[in-house]
Amino acid sequence: MASSSSVLEDGSLLSRLDVALNRVERVLALVSGTAVFLLMLLAVVSVSGRNFFNQPLPGYVDWIEQAMPLIAFMGIAYTQRAGGHIRMDMVVGILRGRLLWAAEFITTFAILVLMVLLVWGSWAHFQRSFDFAAPLWSRDSSMDISLPIWPAKLLVPVAFSVLSLRLMLQLWGYGRAFILGLVEPVAVPLVQSAAEQAAAEAEAVSGAQG
Amino acid sequence: MEPIEIGLYVTGGLLVLVILGMRVAFAAALAGLVGLFWLRWNQFDYDPERFGKALTISVKIAGQVPHSKVSSQALSLIPTFILIGYLAYYAGLTKALFEAAKRWVGWLPGGLAVSTVFATAGFAAVSGASVATAAVFARIAIPEMLKVGYDKRFAAGVVAAGGTLASLIPPSAILVIYAIIVEQDVGKLLLAGFIPGVVSAFIYAILIVGLALTVPNFGPPVGGYTWKERFSSLPPAAPIAFVVLIIIFFIYNPFGGDAWGTPTEGGALGAFVVFCMAIYRGMRWPQLRDALLETAKLAVMIFSIIWGVLIYVRFLGFAELPAAFSDWITSLNQPAMLTLVLILLAYAVLGMFMDAIGMLLLTLPVVYPAVMALNGGEFVSAADSAFGMSGPMCAIWFGILVVKMAEFCLITPPIGLNCFVVAGVREDLSVQDVFKGVTPFFIADAITIAVLVAAPQIVLWLPSQV
Amino acid sequence: TEALADEWNVSLWGKRRAFTEHVEKLAELVSEKTNGEFTMNISYGGLSKNRENLDGISIGAFEMAQFCAGYHRDKNPSITVLELPFLGVDSLEAEIKVSNAVYNHPATKADLARWNARLLMSSPLPQYNVAGVGTPPRTLADFDGLTVRAVGGVGAALASLGAVPTSVTSSEARQALDSGVVKSVAFAPHAHLSFGTIEPAKWWTTNLNPGTVNCPVVVNIDAYESLSDAHRDALTSSIDEAMQHYLDNYNGATMDAWWPKLEGNGIEQITYSDEDLAAFREAAAGPAAQAWIEENTARGLPAQELYDLVLKTLSE
Ligand code: NA
Ligand code: NA
Repeated sequence: MASSSSVLEDGSLLSRLDVALNRVERVLALVSGTAVFLLMLLAVVSVSGRNFFNQPLPGYVDWIEQAMPLIAFMGIAYTQRAGGHIRMDMVVGILRGRLLWAAEFITTFAILVLMVLLVWGSWAHFQRSFDFAAPLWSRDSSMDISLPIWPAKLLVPVAFSVLSLRLMLQLWGYGRAFILGLVEPVAVPLVQSAAEQAAAEAEAVSGAQG
Repeated sequence: MEPIEIGLYVTGGLLVLVILGMRVAFAAALAGLVGLFWLRWNQFDYDPERFGKALTISVKIAGQVPHSKVSSQALSLIPTFILIGYLAYYAGLTKALFEAAKRWVGWLPGGLAVSTVFATAGFAAVSGASVATAAVFARIAIPEMLKVGYDKRFAAGVVAAGGTLASLIPPSAILVIYAIIVEQDVGKLLLAGFIPGVVSAFIYAILIVGLALTVPNFGPPVGGYTWKERFSSLPPAAPIAFVVLIIIFFIYNPFGGDAWGTPTEGGALGAFVVFCMAIYRGMRWPQLRDALLETAKLAVMIFSIIWGVLIYVRFLGFAELPAAFSDWITSLNQPAMLTLVLILLAYAVLGMFMDAIGMLLLTLPVVYPAVMALNGGEFVSAADSAFGMSGPMCAIWFGILVVKMAEFCLITPPIGLNCFVVAGVREDLSVQDVFKGVTPFFIADAITIAVLVAAPQIVLWLPSQV
Repeated sequence: TEALADEWNVSLWGKRRAFTEHVEKLAELVSEKTNGEFTMNISYGGLSKNRENLDGISIGAFEMAQFCAGYHRDKNPSITVLELPFLGVDSLEAEIKVSNAVYNHPATKADLARWNARLLMSSPLPQYNVAGVGTPPRTLADFDGLTVRAVGGVGAALASLGAVPTSVTSSEARQALDSGVVKSVAFAPHAHLSFGTIEPAKWWTTNLNPGTVNCPVVVNIDAYESLSDAHRDALTSSIDEAMQHYLDNYNGATMDAWWPKLEGNGIEQITYSDEDLAAFREAAAGPAAQAWIEENTARGLPAQELYDLVLKTLSE
């Protein structure tokens, strides 16, 4: 249920690439969700330690700070594939046909330019915290228990690179739709009416007994 | 060119990108990156030879922001508050709440609609997200209301409006976001939302009773439950009360001692209790996996907006725009209260076109310092202030006001997310139907906001007890 | 030759307070001496997160910044020697002297040059003491299991008593105390005042004095070197006066506000016996210094030399 997405599939190369990348994206998103779950368990351990054993968890804040990038970035391409990053679709919602694909192509291209630049910028941020010559390769560590910060910083350019791949596939999809004048192209989130989009979202929470 | 001019042009450009349908997170980040670059290259007098240097500096500044801003202990509340809502659904708490509300208040005029409001308010105490609440209750409450003859549009409107309570009654993801943007105490803000949330629920309920008494064929009361049936409906919903107690004790200890921990820990412990219950009620790995994926998706969406907007905010810091805006606001020759009301009205207009979280994140960096300056500054005492409250209290009050405005936006056309969600769940309802059904609640919300503006102690009493 | 206008961005955090008075004064003096041709825009938190001010300097995002060594010891191992517990610094003047000695050591300069940073001046702080909520630690044994916001050597020293250092940056300290992330905060008096931790506090230790943090002000090397001689001179010649202003303000206004605040808020003042403190010093000082020297020798720093330099400077 939950992964109901509006992306069509067929046997074409583009679609097969889309499906293959989505498999990776889904695993990464699951890592992100699992990190939320572990954060919950960590808090339970911290609270019990402090209140029942008078022994707070050393480095609790350090660990949270390490887990946050996992939660915040790993699912970014998965969300983009499903059209889950919010936007105002008043204007896009009334466009049809080639005009629509052109608009989608342009905004997607703008995001790709942004993400490529941010891969560069976040990689530089990682590099400043990384030093082959230093103990644990670390040039920046957390305040209490000195966890190296570079692994968490590295997650950002990695996640942004996966998103860049996703954006390239979407550009391919939109470009193809524009040139061929398609109505329902594969490998891109179709502009649903906001209501359809919400239906998909609502379905996500309605699968169980409630 | 002056930095402030660049600030204005880039802000205008950002609005154009958002209107054109670029995803808000990325539009804000791009605007911020372009702005950082523009400022720098302007400083280099547009010397072509230093283009590369200006680009490198601005890209590296922007590239710091995502990791740096997201690795925050305070932000870790958000995913926990989202997860708890999904788990509560699998734990069967939603249905139990609605059943209990129906048996206890269903006999009132408009009883099922009133029950829906109180059930959503109860669910709000475990759910941190409005949209999720509306989606869940559209499944459960609307069919029951239709069965006894409610107008389907009104039934949908009740659920859409009731869903908004989740963001005032703690836990609330959006209040956490506000607290982080303005650097105020998360615990106090969460506490401050409680009474306004309950007041909102009661104003909704009074409105429904009033409508039921005046509109013919509104929908019958649902009575006839024995006291035994009423009390037997409570135990299945009781875990909600337990979770609420946990969260309250972790924000503030009502018996005067130390709080038991942090709001983050309280939220996590609550989630853990609900998790155990969901396992007991038959949740297994496939359902848990789906809950985790949905949590990840929503969390990633929110975090992307956060870092995207913060890149834009970093640019604003270099362009000195917030300071200029706040100078302008405080120089206006009119009563401070009038300015505040105009700001809230501007939010109402903006909210018609924007999503709640995006709207708050985009505007607060500029508007919040201005409102604080209007009151007399961050460290003003209640006696010297324009609104009769100290700086920190003003921050809390304004927070509740803008969050209520943002919630109002969730039910206003054309981009009322809750209405879309409700229409999405029910195939027999169009979005127009839901907007029509929710219209009476605009009046209720307008009354609530007026009450909160006129009587700030409703907001401030509870946090001032801590 | 015609002097070009210089406009520097300066990244600080929090709000204007005793800890930032020398930077404010420096900006004022430099602008005066250059007839407004060399100006500094001081930003409190708008340009960078405080833990990333060194990154910002290295990028060239801004030209001047302040940071604390204990926020990121791997970024600046050389100056963390100044954060070792119980070095025996007894005045702000001594703190300035010992800081400058370390700042001028070639190993320190090289360490900071990795960030394209040049050390300009120190921000001397008095010895830290702990303020907190909940049960007051009336004996040193009561520190066992107490969560405390303390960075660097102060954190390590308190950990030797069984306390659990839980570090948040100073800007987040009040929130951490209010929300229960920590039960206590170790700060210098001005910071207890400025970050509001003294408001919820129920107790304060008067004489624990375990050490302090070292928070230099640095400039971007390229920006510094591209200044005209006149502007560079205006900058360097203003440092002493800025530091004097800082000292006068700290020893005067800040401490004058401190004691009435403690009385006014009804805060319990905890004073430990000399024997307790001697035992604490014994347990914390030696091992911490030894560990620091070993760790940083492994990093390739002349750690023993830096440590000896500190002791020698303080004994002069
Ligand atoms: Na809630
Ligand atoms: Na709206």
